[in-house]
Amino acid sequence: MKTTVIGAFPKISDEHQELRRALHRHDRGELDGEGLSGVLDDSTRWAMGELEWAGVDVVNDGQIRWDDLLAPFARAWDGCDRGPLERFYDNNTYFRQPVITGPITTEGTTLVRDFEFARGVARGQLKAAVCGPLTFATLAEDRYYRSLEDRTLAVADAIAAEIRGLGAAGADLVDIEEPALVAHPEHFALARAAVERLAAAGVPLALQAYFFPADPLLDALAAFPVAQVGIDVRSRETGVLEKLNALRQTVVLGVVDARNTRVETEAELVGLVEAALRQVPADYLWLAPTTGLEYLPHDVAVQKLKALVAAAHATGGVKA
Amino acid sequence: MSDQVLLTTSVGSFGKPDYLQKARNANARGKLGETELSALERKATEEWIRRQERLDLDILVDGEMYRGDMVAYFAERLEGFRIGGLVRSYGNRYYHKPIIASKVSRPKPMTVEWFSFTQSLTDRPVKGMLTGPYTLLDWSYNEAYRTRRDAALALAEVVRLEAEDLQHAGARYIQIDEPAIHARPEEIEIAIEAMGIVTQNLKAKTISHICYGDFAAIYPKVLELPVDQLDLAMHNYEYRWLSLFDKHPFTKELAIGVVDVHSHRLEAVEEAADGIRKGLRYVSADRLLPHPDCGLKTRTVEESEEKCRVVVEATKVVRKELARQATPA
Repeated sequence: MKTTVIGAFPKISDEHQELRRALHRHDRGELDGEGLSGVLDDSTRWAMGELEWAGVDVVNDGQIRWDDLLAPFARAWDGCDRGPLERFYDNNTYFRQPVITGPITTEGTTLVRDFEFARGVARGQLKAAVCGPLTFATLAEDRYYRSLEDRTLAVADAIAAEIRGLGAAGADLVDIEEPALVAHPEHFALARAAVERLAAAGVPLALQAYFFPADPLLDALAAFPVAQVGIDVRSRETGVLEKLNALRQTVVLGVVDARNTRVETEAELVGLVEAALRQVPADYLWLAPTTGLEYLPHDVAVQKLKALVAAAHATGGVKA
Repeated sequence: MSDQVLLTTSVGSFGKPDYLQKARNANARGKLGETELSALERKATEEWIRRQERLDLDILVDGEMYRGDMVAYFAERLEGFRIGGLVRSYGNRYYHKPIIASKVSRPKPMTVEWFSFTQSLTDRPVKGMLTGPYTLLDWSYNEAYRTRRDAALALAEVVRLEAEDLQHAGARYIQIDEPAIHARPEEIEIAIEAMGIVTQNLKAKTISHICYGDFAAIYPKVLELPVDQLDLAMHNYEYRWLSLFDKHPFTKELAIGVVDVHSHRLEAVEEAADGIRKGLRYVSADRLLPHPDCGLKTRTVEESEEKCRVVVEATKVVRKELARQATPA
């Protein structure tokens, strides 16, 4: 049983605001792109250090360079512009809506530089992440493709190219962040067709669907060609904990609520993990926050990680 | 003003002048006292009242010179809240997201003094300006209440006290903003129930501002929100929400956003006028109120003023058209 994180980590803390200041200075023309990039790298080192210090087994790069889940792709891809601010699901957090203006194309190297940097920083196991195709397709404004299906599959081809690029750079696990799957369960067949294209890239994938309960999709999720499925059992009313044996993949159990500041007690977490262990063998169970920790202030995010790691130890998880 | 149609207004906040922004920063660093800051906030408020009068806006606001964030301002003044660490909202923008740490209560009025001060500066009506219970909940962390409904209803009680005090102080318009109302469309019943608590004893005109989200997901159910007027961002959405009114007629007064607030680009008067004309297809002129899409606090003073000028000039163009139509040739 390993511990991991999903998505973005807080980019600053109340005490550590170098990145915020650097972005302001960059906006005012007082700091050039190279200077800003150096601060982004420093902040990535800091965030990854926090993850490892807390004892998380499998870390990511904290997505410090990502404005939002869609931004790295919307910035890099041909055929895609960035439009107005929109609310990101049920969060008081906003993203720039991608505007699709032509056929989406990419060389598939969008994330390679950042992954290689993170690999140089990580002391333990490192994973990468991409935006899920259905999530990108349902949140973008489309002025080119004719249907949600065309759009989703075109995005999937571009994401698959990015995953190939990550695989060539040495990534051996990639999170597919796909909240749209649980937000719009009616599109699960399309989401699966898209993920099949990602799986063809040959890199093990973890499907991370968050924000909404996975109850209506549990059986469908078992058919996704991925190594891992992330399931939130903490932040909303859900009965999935008793049905996890429907899944055949490793379950990444979201046990600490990354959208609420109340830190779970060890007893609460042990209860959730023990219930999951009645359905899933320990070798097939990882523990994680319910979504990206960037929805919390930094100090609470760290407390949540410590609670997560303590729960893993208390229930027999061995540090890798 | 009483027989005027297409009354113009604004959503609540305006750009803060440089001297006030500097004073707020100095205050945050402990280098400027509360008394000195408060004097500058009053000066900036009076300047905004004079600007709104010069612009010829009909229903005024205090401009929120003394507020940073629309939830934190109340969270800092209510018992039961704790202010958490910084959380990012987008890009490089961060805010201190409040935490509902224990049962909430209101030790004393939070906005009434500012309302009374502002109203004393002008003969035009000034809106009382509150954040609604559902948004206070949704934009905070809830550690104290078992369910989100429990928290929303408790918050509704403290907002009700504030709204009733504003009415007692003479407010003829009370705006209770719910920009988070469509965050979870399945919870709109909670938002409606909570607003019912807030407005149950009010005789003042009640308004609720809604923006940035999927309005279609809560329409027409949102017509049950117990307020007289809905205040909607429309320009940013290219007026797409109006087509919802084809199927289910809009039954409230409509404050219609006709200029974008997140863009430096200044709309042409004719562009804003066309937005008003679009609104008139669905709501009569005595029930339609042109204004900018949202609060203007992210714009400079000059940009805020220019956006409002476009709204007023566009309104005057359309009023003339209406007058011509009403006069037989």
